[in-house]
Amino acid sequence: MFAQFLFIASALLTVGSAIAVAVTKNIMHSCIFLLGSLLGIAGLYATLGADFVAVTQIMVYVGGVVILMLFAVMLTGGKDFVSRAQNLLGLAPAMGNKFTYAVGILVAIVFAATNIKILMNLPSAPAAAAANSEAFPSTVREIGFLLTKNHVLAFELSSVLLLGALVGAAIIARPKKH
Amino acid sequence: MMSLASYLIISLVLFIVGLTVMIARKNIVAILLGIELVLNAAALNFVAYSKYVTNNLDGHVFSLFIIVIAAAEAAVGLAIVIRFFQIKETIHIDEATQLRN
Repeated sequence: MFAQFLFIASALLTVGSAIAVAVTKNIMHSCIFLLGSLLGIAGLYATLGADFVAVTQIMVYVGGVVILMLFAVMLTGGKDFVSRAQNLLGLAPAMGNKFTYAVGILVAIVFAATNIKILMNLPSAPAAAAANSEAFPSTVREIGFLLTKNHVLAFELSSVLLLGALVGAAIIARPKKH
Repeated sequence: MMSLASYLIISLVLFIVGLTVMIARKNIVAILLGIELVLNAAALNFVAYSKYVTNNLDGHVFSLFIIVIAAAEAAVGLAIVIRFFQIKETIHIDEATQLRN
């Protein structure tokens, strides 16, 4: 029952905030809506029994990435650039003319049909997953074993990647010397 | 209610919205917001399949790696945006034409 409530609330928050990111003209408000969407995804992880991933999502995204985005918006003036030609609905500043919209609709139809085909071929849930779908067992211990046994090379490489990316970002963004 | 299909539909909506943001916006920071949405859609798919299909935790580990990669990408991307703003005094995507010729 609680899982159902959490799922519905998280799904509404995720989808609504994501659509608000797309249609809001103010870039600062878009950042705040992205924060809501990421929190909703953390709730969806919690309904899936992935508690460690949910906590990591909140810590890394809400505590780190969105704050970084807000700082970038503030450092670059926070202006959004509304193009002269509004799109059909008048919502977001958009590129395109009738030809690009026609191609986009065709791509959307093909994409939707492909996804419907995939969704019709879904395997039914195994009995074990259905049995413990309401329980929330801890996954931290198993994820720790997996990270240090099966995926240890990727784990070390990701740490090196993170170090390199942060040092590179600091070097790129340092102020100009006069 | 809570089935694999519902999670896949939520992920599909996130992916489409992220792609729309990446295509339609002219602000570079907004394009980075769209990239974050697309990466989150992929990570949500991994965790959903890990619960309903494979019954092990490899999807969780891969989702953690996606979060790490997204953090690194956001750091480097925003550093590039700030550098671009220092040089060009704007972050409109149409001004990024240094490699055109």
